[in-house]
Amino acid sequence: MDLDFSPVLDSWQYLLRGVGLTLALSFLTMLCSLVIGGAIGLARCYGPQSLRWPLVFYIDSMRSVPVLVVLVWTYFALPLITGVVLPPFWAALIALSAHIAAYVAEIVRAGVSSIRPGQTRAAFALGMSRAQTIRTIVLPQALVRMLPAFGSILSITIKDTAIAAVIAVPEYMNRSQTVAGQSFHPIEIFTVAMAVYFIILFPVTRVVDMVYVRLAYLGRS
Amino acid sequence: MNFDWSVVWRNADVLVEGTELTILLAVTTMVIAIPGGILLALMRLSGVRALSSTSACFVELFRNLPLILVIYTAYYVLPVATGLSFSPITTAIVALSLNVSAYNGETFRAGIASIRQGQSEAAYALGMTRWQTTREIVLPQAVRRVLPVLASTWVSLFKDTSLVSVISVGELAYTSMRIRAQTYRVLEMLTAMAAIYWLLGYPQAKLVDWINRRYAVNE
Repeated sequence: MDLDFSPVLDSWQYLLRGVGLTLALSFLTMLCSLVIGGAIGLARCYGPQSLRWPLVFYIDSMRSVPVLVVLVWTYFALPLITGVVLPPFWAALIALSAHIAAYVAEIVRAGVSSIRPGQTRAAFALGMSRAQTIRTIVLPQALVRMLPAFGSILSITIKDTAIAAVIAVPEYMNRSQTVAGQSFHPIEIFTVAMAVYFIILFPVTRVVDMVYVRLAYLGRS
Repeated sequence: MNFDWSVVWRNADVLVEGTELTILLAVTTMVIAIPGGILLALMRLSGVRALSSTSACFVELFRNLPLILVIYTAYYVLPVATGLSFSPITTAIVALSLNVSAYNGETFRAGIASIRQGQSEAAYALGMTRWQTTREIVLPQAVRRVLPVLASTWVSLFKDTSLVSVISVGELAYTSMRIRAQTYRVLEMLTAMAAIYWLLGYPQAKLVDWINRRYAVNE
């Protein structure tokens, strides 16, 4: 088997811009998911009862449908209802954020409920308000406990952006396919793609683990 | 805007076939990936340097790659590397099994490692043999830790089978998108696809939550 990596070298700028878009999409998706998921998670824990079951329904539905389906539906079917045609990048951002926010909400809920109720009661006994208790007692400890889970969400997000290639977002996976199709050297292109994704993803998991080891004591109670 | 939902019913038989293939893919992959994961965990914990680092590399590699890329790579590499031609379904099962075996390997390893050292030491102090300790102290607790994670992996796998549609495996996602392309009933077919996945996935997600509560370990 003769390997010829020259197609990768010939198109390196094209591929590199794809990597850039992968990182940009991952970053924005992570940001949106954290904000939306955080809000959903907190609303589920502390919000009014009437809000809880629709949120639980949303979270469980997103957990039970493949991300590919959410992506394809958002890009192809949603415009038929709303009448607004979204560019692939924005469709991918919306779909991925909607999907991953559900997982973030679950993590937030698990983190908040892992703080013993005795602490909340103690705070109330000291005369702290509900908002104060949540802000100064529960959340700081819960956030530290959530950290490793957010790390794996970040790595899942980066991996899921590759699925956006299916709706023609010109990120790295999509561009690799394009170059592979044009150059007839798919093995070399995809081998390089595996290396690139690994180089991006492996440090993410390692760094999060390292940070957590340094911070874990803050989450003890 | 008019929608014609009858397209879903007219293609019901094809959708059912697609759903069956989705389930078959998930079951076959899990049947391969559980022994695969056990093997990887045993290699990792064997204490033999070569085995444990091979296992660690395998696990870290496939946990850190997008599955869709593994599927594409398998599609192009397998025939060249082996000189045989593989059907898309076989390729899909190979790619999914590599991915899920890596996750299962880590699950089994973490499950065994999560039982505190003190428990084994206590068992040895009571005069139990290594094998007795493993069988009666470590494994029963490790199983309780492993089972919920395996259940979550199963749900992920079930959803991830949709990704093999990119190499034209005629499972639910591929079938739905093919009918969409033939009939131009985009919203109807895509919504039907989402609904079928939801109907199948929702009870599974709930079951996983229940297993998680049921098997929570209190040391």
